[in-house]
Amino acid sequence: MRVKLTEREVLNPVGEVQEKKIKLIPLPYDFDKVSLVDNTKPGADIILKVLSESLGNREHLWVQKPAGAPATKQQIQEAASSDLAILALGDCGSCTSWVVLDAIRLEKCGTPTISVCSDHFAPFARELADSHGLKSLRILEVEHPIAGLSDEKIEEKAGKIVGNLLYLLQIP
Amino acid sequence: MTKNDDKLKVNANSCGCLIDDLLADKPDKGDDRLCSARDSDMEFFVDPDAEKVSHDFYQRRLTDGLPIIPPTRERVNRFLAFSVYEAEDVLGILPPKMGQATVEKIAINAVMAGCLPQFQPVLEQVIKAISQEKFNLAGVNATTHPVSICTIINGPLADELGMNSATGCLGPGNMANASIGRAIRLCLINIASALPGIGDHATHGSPAKYTYCFAENEKQSPWDPLHVERGYKEDDNTVTVLAAEAPHNVNDHRSQGAEDLLDTICHTAATAGCNNSHVPGELLVIVSPEHAATIDQEGWSKKDVQNYIHKNSRLPAVLGDRGGRKLDEKWISQGEVYITRSPRDVTLVVAGGPGRHTMISHGFGSGSESVTMTLNPERRDKS
Repeated sequence: MRVKLTEREVLNPVGEVQEKKIKLIPLPYDFDKVSLVDNTKPGADIILKVLSESLGNREHLWVQKPAGAPATKQQIQEAASSDLAILALGDCGSCTSWVVLDAIRLEKCGTPTISVCSDHFAPFARELADSHGLKSLRILEVEHPIAGLSDEKIEEKAGKIVGNLLYLLQIP
Repeated sequence: MTKNDDKLKVNANSCGCLIDDLLADKPDKGDDRLCSARDSDMEFFVDPDAEKVSHDFYQRRLTDGLPIIPPTRERVNRFLAFSVYEAEDVLGILPPKMGQATVEKIAINAVMAGCLPQFQPVLEQVIKAISQEKFNLAGVNATTHPVSICTIINGPLADELGMNSATGCLGPGNMANASIGRAIRLCLINIASALPGIGDHATHGSPAKYTYCFAENEKQSPWDPLHVERGYKEDDNTVTVLAAEAPHNVNDHRSQGAEDLLDTICHTAATAGCNNSHVPGELLVIVSPEHAATIDQEGWSKKDVQNYIHKNSRLPAVLGDRGGRKLDEKWISQGEVYITRSPRDVTLVVAGGPGRHTMISHGFGSGSESVTMTLNPERRDKS
């Protein structure tokens, strides 16, 4: 008599993900007004200032939003009133999450975005954007860390990504 | 078919194992197989080796690092029998991975955590609660801050499930407290992908991320329990989830009156390094029954206590403003910041056993609001 022993299967605990795609709004060929969305993390304002100064005489609209939580509807509406929005700064877990998620909210409103995250958190930012259906969300990487540095050091680090910003915007 | 073959098989369609076949003049083939048409005569199902499955799951980053119970179909089905939902029903989408928290996935993780099947409805409500927008699970899971999810159970169900609300309720030794909290963490790891360095970026993590679940000691509280304060009936069963740091002790053996004792609590709470100091929000205060009695003997209501803690838990704004987000001017009064936005932010419960200690847990700040949900007592046995 042949006896067969079968091990019971174990079930997979990993949650399935429903695939979805969100359209990335193309950057404008030219623009008059840019929203600078500042989550008030240390250095975010300095980075946005350095980046905005490279954009010439265009109008700037500063919008402050929470760091580890979503922007209010009013803040999103305000930021969406420009031709383009630059968000900073994702240099920790929750603030990276809400830079990315608020950028996606703006893209859904039809406003093209560029998000600034530190290079340590940029891979997470891209994974998160992908999970929300926007793998190609534009993310500029600034060297980690930013918090705890002097203003001069932050300006120096921000200066290094100006070229990448101008390349994205096709500004010579 | 020849005449000899006819003798061997009474029925041409049989494999030769019908009773008539066996009684027929069958030549001895020299083996003891009951049926040559199958690859075995008997099949036994055995549980997989727990140690092997634990190691395998650990290697695949599906655990919290501790051994798990293998989630076999049979075990998972026992949990599903306690759910009022269908196995494939989605109770939440958990960020950052946006994984679907189906009833079955919750049950699988609950089995792994060592839960009893009776805990399934509690876990389902917890998942629904943390999925609410105001809880901000996206921020809570991914943050560098060491925030965990604290789960408080209120109502008669806490006793029915054998939960600990007394001595050592925040520590080891109770299956429900330990495994419910652990199952929530496994759901976050496996459904939300809140893995250290992947979807959970807490700089150090926290012991409270293993488990942080207890019941309120309603019998020894002089005040309305949390769920009654939040509009439920005393005999309702509820879960409350808070984004909270690991608890910090408030040792006060000498105070004989409410103000002195509450001053010790406020002084412990008003610290510069917490999130509340720059983004004021909820503060969990777990008062021991002895401390509660000291406060109550002077006739202080729960609201009085919450008011006092709110008004007196404050620190210099210059120290509070060293956190992440810039401290908003609206929270500053005469150079000081109140760590709670209002008395309602003081989440006050009574728990623990004898002893003159209270515990406080700072919240995630204004980035997350606690959620209380009722537990549906209806249980449908599908077996």
